[in-house]
Amino acid sequence: MNKKFRLGLTAVLAGSLLLAGCGGGDKPAANGGDNAPKTGGSLNIAINADPPKLDPSFSTALVERQVFQSLYDTLLELKPDGTLAGELAEKWEVSEDKKTYTFKLRQGVKFHDGTDFNAEAVKFNFERYMDKASTRRAELEAVENVSAVDANTVKVTLKKPFAPFLSVLADRAGMMVSPAAVKKYGEDFVNNPVGTGPFKFKERVKGDKLVLEKNPNYWQKGLPKLDSVTYKVINSSDVQLVNLKSGQVDIIDKFPDKEVDNVKNDPKIKVINELSYAFQGIHINVTKPPFDKKELRQAVDLLIDREAIVKVALHGTGAPAHSPFAKGHFAYGDSDKAPKPDLAKAKELLAKAGVPNGFSFTLTISTTPLNQQIGSLIQGMLKPAGIDVQLEKVEFGQMLEKGKAVNHQALMLGWSGRPDPDQNIYQFMKTKEPNNYTGYSNTKVDELLLAARTETDTTKRKGIYDEAMKILNDELPYIYTYHEANLLGFSKSVQGFEYVPDGLIRTANLSK
Amino acid sequence: MTFLVRRLLLAIPVILLVTIMVFSLMHMLPGDPATVILGQEATPEAVAALREELGLNRPILVQYFDWLGGVLQGDLGRSLVDRTPVAELIMQRFPATIELTIGTFIVAILIAVPAGIISATRPGKWVDYTSTMFALGGMSIPHFWLGMMFIVFFSVKLGWLPASGYVPLSQDPVANLAAMIMPMVATGLRESAVLMRMLRSSLLEVMHADYIRTAYSKGLKEWTVIMRHALKNALVPVVTTSGLIVAGLLSGLVITESIFSIPGFGRLIVESIFSRDFVTVQGAILVSALLVVAVNLFVDILYTIIDPRIKAGKGAE
Repeated sequence: MNKKFRLGLTAVLAGSLLLAGCGGGDKPAANGGDNAPKTGGSLNIAINADPPKLDPSFSTALVERQVFQSLYDTLLELKPDGTLAGELAEKWEVSEDKKTYTFKLRQGVKFHDGTDFNAEAVKFNFERYMDKASTRRAELEAVENVSAVDANTVKVTLKKPFAPFLSVLADRAGMMVSPAAVKKYGEDFVNNPVGTGPFKFKERVKGDKLVLEKNPNYWQKGLPKLDSVTYKVINSSDVQLVNLKSGQVDIIDKFPDKEVDNVKNDPKIKVINELSYAFQGIHINVTKPPFDKKELRQAVDLLIDREAIVKVALHGTGAPAHSPFAKGHFAYGDSDKAPKPDLAKAKELLAKAGVPNGFSFTLTISTTPLNQQIGSLIQGMLKPAGIDVQLEKVEFGQMLEKGKAVNHQALMLGWSGRPDPDQNIYQFMKTKEPNNYTGYSNTKVDELLLAARTETDTTKRKGIYDEAMKILNDELPYIYTYHEANLLGFSKSVQGFEYVPDGLIRTANLSK
Repeated sequence: MTFLVRRLLLAIPVILLVTIMVFSLMHMLPGDPATVILGQEATPEAVAALREELGLNRPILVQYFDWLGGVLQGDLGRSLVDRTPVAELIMQRFPATIELTIGTFIVAILIAVPAGIISATRPGKWVDYTSTMFALGGMSIPHFWLGMMFIVFFSVKLGWLPASGYVPLSQDPVANLAAMIMPMVATGLRESAVLMRMLRSSLLEVMHADYIRTAYSKGLKEWTVIMRHALKNALVPVVTTSGLIVAGLLSGLVITESIFSIPGFGRLIVESIFSRDFVTVQGAILVSALLVVAVNLFVDILYTIIDPRIKAGKGAE
């Protein structure tokens, strides 16, 4: 009986991959039975682009966060259920006025270069991230002052209560780098990263691979399980897949969506297909004709068939979107459900705006095949109402410039998403924020978004976002189209993977 | 000798012109490097700070001469993206591309020369048709598709060769060859088709020349006539084409390098263009231009060896 139970358990373990490790915390991974994961060995992970900067302070590319997971620990960590837990900060207290955070740091942690992780190091990192050259600056703009109370206690004072603060510390702005190494390497630190993470930097061949080796002094007992991890740069998802099939790599970070169904019965490959925090959509320039008329924005919104986009362009992965929050997220509300396309109503709106026979506009899209396909789909969807869409294809850099200058009519561009709702809406919808590419400005929305920033009660916060989304879904400066899925591919011999909603592959618990 | 010196001197303005063109083209591109480097998350202050730091707010002429001055002292500058010296980036990427170019060219020659000779000596026969069809196929089949098919067949189905993963030749020659053979053959097949067509038509032309008839009438065997008399004279256009092919491969292996994940020079250029890292692009294109000039020079020298009548230097004196 006992043996049977064990066998059953083993089967579940092998089948789901999600259970093999217990993830992140300081408990060692639960494993047992005959199928216990081995320690040692190495694992190859395909990443879809070369991570340009291995320094969280200057990082801008999504792919860099994938590698950072292995190199750096964060003060807090994101758990699989989307909640936050302590990592390098063991616990913390928040003052009554929600402006002072006192962090108790984990003791006995060392950086890869042997120097101590302590309160001074945390202070150093905060100050570095708050420097004007750092891309993290905006995330920490609420911070007024950071001080080291004693060797293991850090006090952070905020200018005003800021609800996303802790969540920010679970991402790049909370990654601790070695102050000694920063001083030693200067601007070359980007090529010589030193953190406290489970793996340390060994070598890199630009454009080819990045080799990390086990951090033997890692503070989590028994981790990491592998001796080394190699990130291989493979741009095309199709090429990633053949490499996974042929065993050249064990994990791929971009499974080709059109192949998801084809490998369902593959005995060697497992696909993780989960909704991400990311969203895609269209920034509408509300300051210039034709879209200074709200009815026209509403008409376009009503004509876009999101189900069709998901089905055709994304091969059924991902989900329709009508807000920055995906289903399952605490801020996802009633107004976030995408409307069914309604031609009659759209025509009414056009008539109301004084253009019953339609109008034309230019939709700026980037040159990726997916965006071109979606652009054409939208073109077709708007045609029946007499709306003529000209597609303007520009390269990404130009796209950003047009957006930042609000020099477009409509611009298709999404966001990779963050766990805290504020990070997915504030900088896009608040007046004059750097990512407000629509020129949109609404005092009520500004107030609500600010209020949501200071509200720490989740239920109340959701209420505020519901209210804001109600206005935004009526005003429609940004037309949300879909939420992407995180599609990861695994060789079934890989064990210990646990999906966390940011979609990053945490390597400490992995084994092969 | 004067011919060579003159050719060398002539290369200098060509290379200068290339640098000026690249420099102005990169600056004409819409999209500010600082914005691209910092991405969507950048605050305006951060963009301004980076522009300042990278010297992007200086006049373009100042930037150009600054860079050129560095180049003359052997300093290609530092990458805008990660501050690595550009020379180092290029050196990292070069071995793979050089090897791939040489290997591809050898594959092309090994296929093209016998096939070209056979089809030229049997015009209108089935061997000729077969190799012509092969050549047409080789030119029409996209080599990225062929590359993928190779991977699916040899790596996924048979498991004989690695699907990707470059190993330097100096580190492990066997693993290196295993990684390089598919890209070499996939690209070599296409280039062989071009060369074979060239050789065939050029040989056919030569075969009608008087001296070939003379050679035959002396009673020489066909093999000897082709190898000793015809081939040498038919090679001139082939060498020209070869020079173009090699020069093209050196900087144009982007697709092959992407499919087989080889960290080569072509990918460096493309990646740098996308990240607006124009210091790297300039350096890479300068090196690429130097190489093209060198290859052409080499081809010119080859001419004089193959056909002494083309001593251009002497002829001009």
